Amino acid sequence: MRLNKPTPLRPLIHYAELSKLVSRLKIPVHWHVKKLRRGDVPGPEGRLLKLRASVTALFKYERIEMDYYPADEARGYAERLISEAVRNGPQCPETMEMADWWLEEKQLVHKLFKVLVPRYQNYPTSYTNFYRAPFWYFSDGFQPQLNEEYPDKEINETIPAFRTVSYPKGLLELKGNPYPPIFPSKVTNPRSIQNVLLSSAKDFYKSKEGGSERLSNAESGRGIEFVPNEPKSDENLIESSK
Amino acid sequence: MAFYVSRLSLGLELRRLGCKTMRCSGVDCRSSSSTSTTLAPRSLADDGKTDKLGRREKKNLMMSESVDKPDLNLRFKYPEMFPEPFMIWRNPVKEKLERKDMLARRNCISIPEFYVGSVLRVNLSNIHQPDKVSSFVGICIERKETGLRASITLRNVIDNLGVEIKLELYDPRLLKIEVLRLERRLDPHLRYLRDAPPEYSTFPLDMKPDINRSDEVPLNRIKVKLNPRPWTENWHKIEYKGIDESIDDLITNKWKARRELLRKPWEKYDLMKTYRATLPEEEMEEILTEIKDDVEEHDRKHSRRQS
Repeated sequence: MRLNKPTPLRPLIHYAELSKLVSRLKIPVHWHVKKLRRGDVPGPEGRLLKLRASVTALFKYERIEMDYYPADEARGYAERLISEAVRNGPQCPETMEMADWWLEEKQLVHKLFKVLVPRYQNYPTSYTNFYRAPFWYFSDGFQPQLNEEYPDKEINETIPAFRTVSYPKGLLELKGNPYPPIFPSKVTNPRSIQNVLLSSAKDFYKSKEGGSERLSNAESGRGIEFVPNEPKSDENLIESSK
Repeated sequence: MAFYVSRLSLGLELRRLGCKTMRCSGVDCRSSSSTSTTLAPRSLADDGKTDKLGRREKKNLMMSESVDKPDLNLRFKYPEMFPEPFMIWRNPVKEKLERKDMLARRNCISIPEFYVGSVLRVNLSNIHQPDKVSSFVGICIERKETGLRASITLRNVIDNLGVEIKLELYDPRLLKIEVLRLERRLDPHLRYLRDAPPEYSTFPLDMKPDINRSDEVPLNRIKVKLNPRPWTENWHKIEYKGIDESIDDLITNKWKARRELLRKPWEKYDLMKTYRATLPEEEMEEILTEIKDDVEEHDRKHSRRQS
């Protein structure tokens, strides 16, 4: 992966390709087409083949972890494929040809048109999420590699991660996947244990005599609170007598 | 050509100023209800119409009020209004100003609908001519560039000599454009007529207009036979639909083998390459809604003048 500053090349076409109609993607698209490391097949064809494997894996597992920059490139292709499918449907022969080529397994083509298109039909946002992932996980038993150039063990211990260069990793996922979310959602869940306990406490106080007044006071203020029974103050006595 | 600064209404989309290198629908991501649109696939939508191209019409589910969508087929009529989609060369303010200037120029002279392959007559002001006007008749072999620098190339064979003029469409010297034959060809450009026999690009200078007034512009499916080599360009490398198959007799076996190697069958699957080379449909609709009223008014005005 070359991370040098790219030089802009003036495109050969000086006008928009008007014959084709595409939907606008909801992800930022950079003008620079990033190079990938060479695979079995050289050139732009090999690049597409590498990306095809990533896109197929994404549609199959719905969440994949791979190198950051190839994942960023694959994200655009996955978004385009879904937007074409949502836009044209399976009746369009060109869209079907694209799906056939980009998804190497036949069942994934069915998944695209029968599962993902209904899922993303009314999505106002992008169809994928993309995160930066850590280079390594210590829970996987990661240990810093020993450097062969420094066979002396003492030196090696002083430079543990030297020469263990990792490319930045990314995590790519389809939205609406069945896995638990990467970040906890900010929306309050009524089924979480705290909220279940609080709601049952609410019912308990409602059922109790005289609890309803205190509950309504509490609700209008900070929220539900545990208020023990107290002897009534003088003001309350006056109000009740009136 | 000066910008009409006084006409600069403050409807410029300043939110897109920062998007020079990245094409991002920033507003769309944030406010889902205002600008976002969704499409229904053919299989799942029950009601909906298909347009001339057989494409499904866009269904706007999120927006409650119905907005009149412009006819997207009009994009072929005004190709120079659509900017070059190379992101780092884009400048939304400049594009908007250029569109205003183009509409102001279209208010003065009639720039009719024509395509590559149409035969045109142009009148240019020329002080060296006795009547101050020089006219030229020729077939449009190329339509290049966008915006105010949009240009056409006309070709004719006069006295057995091929003559071409390159003409900027919004040049103030241009007095009149008249379409003598309105038709389309199979290819985006016809530069290969330079290496074809003269009968393909010979038109009399006193040619009279011959236009069938119908809805569809006729498509000329003529195949051109090329002269033997040398050529001005390597016509065998790209498969032109308008070049006859006899081109295979004009090249060597070595060239044929090389041509096989140069083919790129994977290119059509490169979805992001297509995306980077096109303007998204939403942007086309924005531009068409912007120019629609002015253009209709100009059409009415110029048709009244002619009649």
